[in-house]
Amino acid sequence: MTILKMAEVTKVYEGKVTHRAINQLSFEVNKGEFVAVMGPSGSGKTTLLNLISTIDSATSGTITIDGQRPEEMTKTELALFRRRQLGFVFQDFNLLQMLTVEENLVLPLTLDGIPIDEMKRRIKELAKKLDLDQILEKRPNEISGGQAQRTAIGRALIHKPNFILADEPTGNLDSKASRDVLELLAKVNQEQKTTILMVTHDPIAASYCDRVIFIKDGEFFNEIYSDDRRQTFFQRILNVLSLLGGNVNDLSTIRLP
Amino acid sequence: MTFRQFAYRNVIRNRRIYAAFFMASMFSVMVFFMYSMLLFHPKIEDEFLREFAASGMIVAEIILYIFTLFFLFYSMSAFLQARSKEFGLLLQLGMEKKQLNQLIFLETMLIGAVSVATGIFFGYAFSKFFFMIVRELLQLESLPLYVSFKPFALTVGAFFSLFVIIAMTSVVFIREQKIIELIRGYWKTDELQNYSTVKAYLGIGMLLFAYGAAAFTSMNVVLALAIVLPPLAAFGTYFFFTHSVLFLLHQIRKRKSLYWQPYRLIAISEVAVKLRENARMYFIVTIVSTVAFLSVGTLTSLSSYTGQFRQLNPLSLIYSSEMTNPYESDHISSLRKELEEQGLSYTLVPFLIKQQTSSFSQNSVDVLRESDVNSLAIALGSPLIELETGEAMFIPYSEESVESLTNKEIQTVLEESNVPIQIRGVYPQMLFPSMIIGSNIIAISDEDYQLIDEPFNGKTKEDSSYKFFAFHVAEWERTKSIGLEIDSQVTDTIYDGGFANLPFYFENPGLNYSVIRATFSLLLFTGLMVAAVLLLAAGSFVYFKLYTGLERDKRQFDLLKRMGLTDQELIKIVNRQLIPQFFLPWGIAMLHSAFSFLSLQVIWRNLAEVSILSEMILVLVGFTFIQVIYYFLIRWRYIAHVRAS
Repeated sequence: MTILKMAEVTKVYEGKVTHRAINQLSFEVNKGEFVAVMGPSGSGKTTLLNLISTIDSATSGTITIDGQRPEEMTKTELALFRRRQLGFVFQDFNLLQMLTVEENLVLPLTLDGIPIDEMKRRIKELAKKLDLDQILEKRPNEISGGQAQRTAIGRALIHKPNFILADEPTGNLDSKASRDVLELLAKVNQEQKTTILMVTHDPIAASYCDRVIFIKDGEFFNEIYSDDRRQTFFQRILNVLSLLGGNVNDLSTIRLP
Repeated sequence: MTFRQFAYRNVIRNRRIYAAFFMASMFSVMVFFMYSMLLFHPKIEDEFLREFAASGMIVAEIILYIFTLFFLFYSMSAFLQARSKEFGLLLQLGMEKKQLNQLIFLETMLIGAVSVATGIFFGYAFSKFFFMIVRELLQLESLPLYVSFKPFALTVGAFFSLFVIIAMTSVVFIREQKIIELIRGYWKTDELQNYSTVKAYLGIGMLLFAYGAAAFTSMNVVLALAIVLPPLAAFGTYFFFTHSVLFLLHQIRKRKSLYWQPYRLIAISEVAVKLRENARMYFIVTIVSTVAFLSVGTLTSLSSYTGQFRQLNPLSLIYSSEMTNPYESDHISSLRKELEEQGLSYTLVPFLIKQQTSSFSQNSVDVLRESDVNSLAIALGSPLIELETGEAMFIPYSEESVESLTNKEIQTVLEESNVPIQIRGVYPQMLFPSMIIGSNIIAISDEDYQLIDEPFNGKTKEDSSYKFFAFHVAEWERTKSIGLEIDSQVTDTIYDGGFANLPFYFENPGLNYSVIRATFSLLLFTGLMVAAVLLLAAGSFVYFKLYTGLERDKRQFDLLKRMGLTDQELIKIVNRQLIPQFFLPWGIAMLHSAFSFLSLQVIWRNLAEVSILSEMILVLVGFTFIQVIYYFLIRWRYIAHVRAS
């Protein structure tokens, strides 16, 4: 069953210099899938994510998320849609500095006025799963990057969304923390059947996914599906990336797990 | 592009940011200049008014100068903090710190020069208007605009020195930081729990004690309290903002059922950060607002004294004369002549007041005749009295005595002449000002009055009675030039210490009124303008602080919007964030002023029996209104900023 359907989506930024960020892009994401979107700098990954996040609207083409069409909704409906259906994970975590880990986790629920007991129950459940028990009372500047990203993932999960959008979730993490975060995302995807769409530069991160979609200059370039061994999948991702011909900088050094 | 051009363009292209700062300093220069114009005015001839206007203006200018210095220093450092990233970049590109200081100095001086120039321009433009108001207040013949270098020199000198001081000192913040810290930006999160519980309780305790003492004060201790309470309240306020507020917020945060509510989670945690960051500024704003509220409130209460002046002084001219007074006929005819020359219609009621001893209290009592009282009552339009033989009535000597004597009934005998009377009730309003007449006065019927023929115990017949000429002039405010000669004769004698030997006494409430009214209203007007500058500065402090945190707030709201915060919810959160920042200092200042007024009321009641309640409410409501407008203005700008993507 399809959860996201992109049909001939085009996004043009009007301005002094007109810029076509996404050009007639079409693809689908099925429910329960863990998809990575890869592409060189300036290929339109962030624009794509903003379109799916419903905070930006396409110039032409249609986007359907979970059977709903964002461009037909009012601003308030969109906000409520994002709040209830979507979860967000960012590269620089975006935790609110003045809130503790626990308060950051509970933030999406307070916006919806969920009863306190229910919030406490969910925190207990999540903290155990994400190994945040010990740091619930700490504030974001007192915890490590891995812990901060796990907190951010917890915040994206706590309201049980159907669809998680991750923007370079490992971009600011060391290799150990990256692996923890990716394994966590994979586990969430496996156990809760939550659909995850992840934008990344990192072929290792992409190798944790079921499928990798490559885009270049805002257009669909290629897609590959995972096989039994992550190692060979990683090699194939590297092959496509070298074909993609982005800058050398975009290809991170090969780190074997 | 030369270095100077760079500084110039920095200012010109950041003009939106500098606008509020520029407006506040320009307004300050403008007011300062207008005060200087009045200070050096050559045409104020009256010695007293000149002295008074000059000293009032000097005090106002010093206050203005100090606060402008303070305000500019504060807002300048707020600006530099907001621009720290830019400075960090310049340093990274290889600018020397010396050059950076020079850049900031140039920019500050540029704004300074422009605001001094425009301030003086508008100040001079509005000077005529200002003089017109002052002329009305002081009831002067004319107060023309004049040209002199003095006010210009004073203003330019004062503010130029001020901007130099600011330009030199405000770079301290930049100088002390490392480049990397500048580039990372000003925003840092501190520990949440940097308050001390003891000091938190101490702050609340000191404030409560100060309020309690101010509320239940009495005349005996009020002066001692006036010395003790202000510092106590100031320290209490300081601890309140630096410790108690954080302590209280922490108490809320501990209670999840209170804290984990839709808008509160973000708003309260945000308010906690802002209040902690800006605790000192809120302390200053509170003290400044309190001073502004209090000065305007006090001055308004002075004006309310002038408003009740007429009630306390119902007669227009009063001349009292002993039987041996040789000047009596001269003086009375000269007064009549002057009144006629001025074209003022008047009624003259002469009284012959007899002194007797009351058997009831063994004190002396001044006796008036019923028909005299009635002829004065007719002139004043007051109620008439009707006394039978043997009846008498108290004449009130103060507003308070009207009440205290109402139900008094005394059976007494005027001992020397052996006239028995029953004193019952009091005349319902004041007829004579309290200074002029003794406190034991009664009116008796004409028949009884005739019977008093024996002199007052131990005195000659001439000494035991005196005359009293009461003039009623409908246009009493125009009598200020009447009887100036007699008045100066009285004043001279009082200065020489020969008051007891003076066989007459003269008082002209119209003249007193014009002096009191002029001084009070000039004070009020000056105070209002200073208060306006202070309030503008206090508001700007809050605005600048919001401005420096704007980048960070914007990022935060962007995140929240992505997470699904609707626009209405954003506005609700902004409300909950801004209201404490705006109205907490204001609320504390209100409380401070309200309790100070309670003490002031005690002083006033003793001095002049004036109630300042209504004026005080008016002042507080007025300031609240201004504050609310200011809040909506800032909220509008703030929301526009954080919403813009």
